[in-house]
Amino acid sequence: MTNTIDAKILAKMFLAGAKNLESQKEWINDLNVFPVPDGDTGTNMTLTIMSAAKDVAAMENPDMISLCKAISSGSLRGARGNSGVILSQLFRGFTKSIREKDVLNIPVFADAFEKAVETAYKAVMKPKEGTILTVAKGASIRARELADEGCSDLEYFFDEVIKYADEVLERTPEMLPVLKQAGVVDSGGQGLMQVLKGAYDAFLGKEIDLTIKEVKSAPSTKAKAEAQPDIDIKYGYCTEFIIMLSRNFNIKTEMDFKEYLESIGDSIVVVADDDVVKVHVHTNDPGLAIQKALKYGALSNLKIDNMRLEHQEKLFREEQSKESKAEEQKAEEVMPHKEVGFIAVSVGEGINDIFKGLGVDYIIEGGQTMNPSTEDMLNAIERVNADSVFILPNNKNIILAANQAQMMVKDKNIIVIPTKTVPQGITAIINYVPDMSVQENEENMKSEIGNVKTGQVTYAVRDTMIDDKEIKQGDYMGLGDAGILSVGSDVSDVTFDMVKEMMNDDLELISVYYGEEITEDVAEALKTRIEEAYPSCDIELQYGGQPIYYYIISAE
Amino acid sequence: MNKKIAVVTDSNSGITQTEASKCGIKVLPMPFMINEETFYEDITLTQNEFYEKLESGADVVTSQPSPESVMKLWDEILEDYDEIVYIPMSSGLSGSCQSAIMLSEDYNGRVQVVNNQRISVTQRQSALDAKLLAGRGMDAAEIKEFLEKDKYNSSIYIMLDTLYYLKKGGRITPAAAAIGTMLKLKPVLTIQGDKLDAFAKARTSNQGKSIMINAIRNDMENRFGGATADNIWLEVAYTRNKETMKQFVAELEEEFPGFDIVAHPLSLSVACHIGPGALAVACCKKIK
Repeated sequence: MTNTIDAKILAKMFLAGAKNLESQKEWINDLNVFPVPDGDTGTNMTLTIMSAAKDVAAMENPDMISLCKAISSGSLRGARGNSGVILSQLFRGFTKSIREKDVLNIPVFADAFEKAVETAYKAVMKPKEGTILTVAKGASIRARELADEGCSDLEYFFDEVIKYADEVLERTPEMLPVLKQAGVVDSGGQGLMQVLKGAYDAFLGKEIDLTIKEVKSAPSTKAKAEAQPDIDIKYGYCTEFIIMLSRNFNIKTEMDFKEYLESIGDSIVVVADDDVVKVHVHTNDPGLAIQKALKYGALSNLKIDNMRLEHQEKLFREEQSKESKAEEQKAEEVMPHKEVGFIAVSVGEGINDIFKGLGVDYIIEGGQTMNPSTEDMLNAIERVNADSVFILPNNKNIILAANQAQMMVKDKNIIVIPTKTVPQGITAIINYVPDMSVQENEENMKSEIGNVKTGQVTYAVRDTMIDDKEIKQGDYMGLGDAGILSVGSDVSDVTFDMVKEMMNDDLELISVYYGEEITEDVAEALKTRIEEAYPSCDIELQYGGQPIYYYIISAE
Repeated sequence: MNKKIAVVTDSNSGITQTEASKCGIKVLPMPFMINEETFYEDITLTQNEFYEKLESGADVVTSQPSPESVMKLWDEILEDYDEIVYIPMSSGLSGSCQSAIMLSEDYNGRVQVVNNQRISVTQRQSALDAKLLAGRGMDAAEIKEFLEKDKYNSSIYIMLDTLYYLKKGGRITPAAAAIGTMLKLKPVLTIQGDKLDAFAKARTSNQGKSIMINAIRNDMENRFGGATADNIWLEVAYTRNKETMKQFVAELEEEFPGFDIVAHPLSLSVACHIGPGALAVACCKKIK
């Protein structure tokens, strides 16, 4: 009978939990209630836990304190999407409670579960039951019961806790009607169960492959240097240069270029200005990066260092921190210091241009299918050289990650305007008045975003029933602020019906942002149709260029 | 025996020559250079002609009244009056106040130039206040002192229909104008005594009107000692759009029941900076 576990076993359990979540992420994605093509929960939770797992995997013989630090800071930085943020807060609370211990027994686990749940509930403004929070709470209640009963067998304890949490998960459809109607259990809760079950398997000694692959994102060198003192040099050459552009380098080429660099290395920084692009990458083949870059223009300021030669770890770390400092300074050179800066999460050429035109300093590429992590927010905040930084998340699933970044930044004043849609974000920044104080602006912007209605048209990824509407895979759906407004098989009809549902007498202006898959002619025809139906309204048509959403429409 | 005091202002006050002769105020017409030809507001240039020329893309430039015309008017008036209270447009918007102060130095105190930074409907109210104070027996210097102390007791908000003229005047960057035009933004500007400043942006005219109403109510309550009819003059200024003005006045009557509300065309010197279609609301604290 085992009654305690040490840091080494806990590390193994954590990695196994992460692996088990990763292996099931597609399945968890499919549990999304809204059949919109985002599939975020599984992906987001996996990216969150993998960010910590990478750090944990790099540790040899971890002690409890450093293990806890790695789990907590890795997952906080990697957190993306609502369930990812909640998961990171669960880990944060859990590790806070156990970091001073050498070994863990049942009473310690019961305390840690409670601390985890308490921390996660606090992180959410309006905690909802029937979600990952409820499942975590179930686990902690059962853990407490077992501890009070004097149970000391960890195997029995884990088994019981998991069984009970599973029962709670099965009951989530009874707590949240949307789950019941869609015929699924809560996806975040399911994700948490995967982590617990994977950890339990490792505890039982099952053979599990614990190699952690690189997470597909671009972590900053600075974060790495902090979180991973015992870093293994995976990519040997630190490569830096500046491209003097001779060809058009738009957001799409920038994404392509970044993707290419990701395929050959990590620690990627690509900063594009009007006519130069600064590039930084760690890779084993600097030649490839240079060859690719030459396609966009001539190169200058080339610098290639063999990082493996600087084998003394101390030296290496000093170099890393110098490098990241130098990068910070360079980033500051790119953006002059301001009092107030803006960050918006956005995707689509047209919408990005609108945000930039309205004064957004930095765009984090992302949105429905691509929730940026807390770390992405932190990097953006660092880049925007301002005393106060407003963040417009523009998606309800990104607000929490932004809030988390806000709490982690101490040297700047970060204000998250909880914009749930692109039109809300546009309204927020339009209402920003430079002459007013940051606080007045915050209040004003928060109240103004309530005055705009949003409708978005996308397609269904599977058959389902929502709000008593039957939806077939491939159908177009018009989503309003509070649910599905229209469904059908013709995108223009669905959009028109959605607008009809959004309208009331007080509305004066309808803005239509058409996506990358809609041609201008089709959009113009829709505009005419709306104009004819609502002659007293101004209709405004803009190219948004966004993926996923054929149309984003606002009415105010 | 009381001195005989004349109140003189310029045509930026929006007081027409007809109205002026009715209430015993003299109005100096402002000159405009349109395609290098000089016109005088309300004398050789009507409001309609002005906007027609503005919209046709003519090069419209405001200019100061010539010293000669100012002194000629003063001299004529002083033949019948003892003293002049002269209320030119805001010194923050034009140099004509500065020039007038300089010219007045040769008049041994008989001409008192009021530097109270008013424009349009608030300048008009200032002229009416001066008339009232003269009736109470104040001399020109006393009236000047009174009005200058009172200068911050007024507030103006203006909603624009187009960004074209702001861009033309270099008040906003071409980039900001481009995105603003694309999204049909309607900027709301404010004049607090001094110059024209950005206040807020609206996407629809209803939004813009409610921004202005809230702002002016806030000023009444927090700066001018209360939003009551016996304390505040409420004024509307408009450019050409009479229907819009009437509707706005009706909305204001509902928001501020019992208030004295007057509506006048916006003076052309302001209009040429912001273009046709602008709508403004202003308030002045009543003098007790």
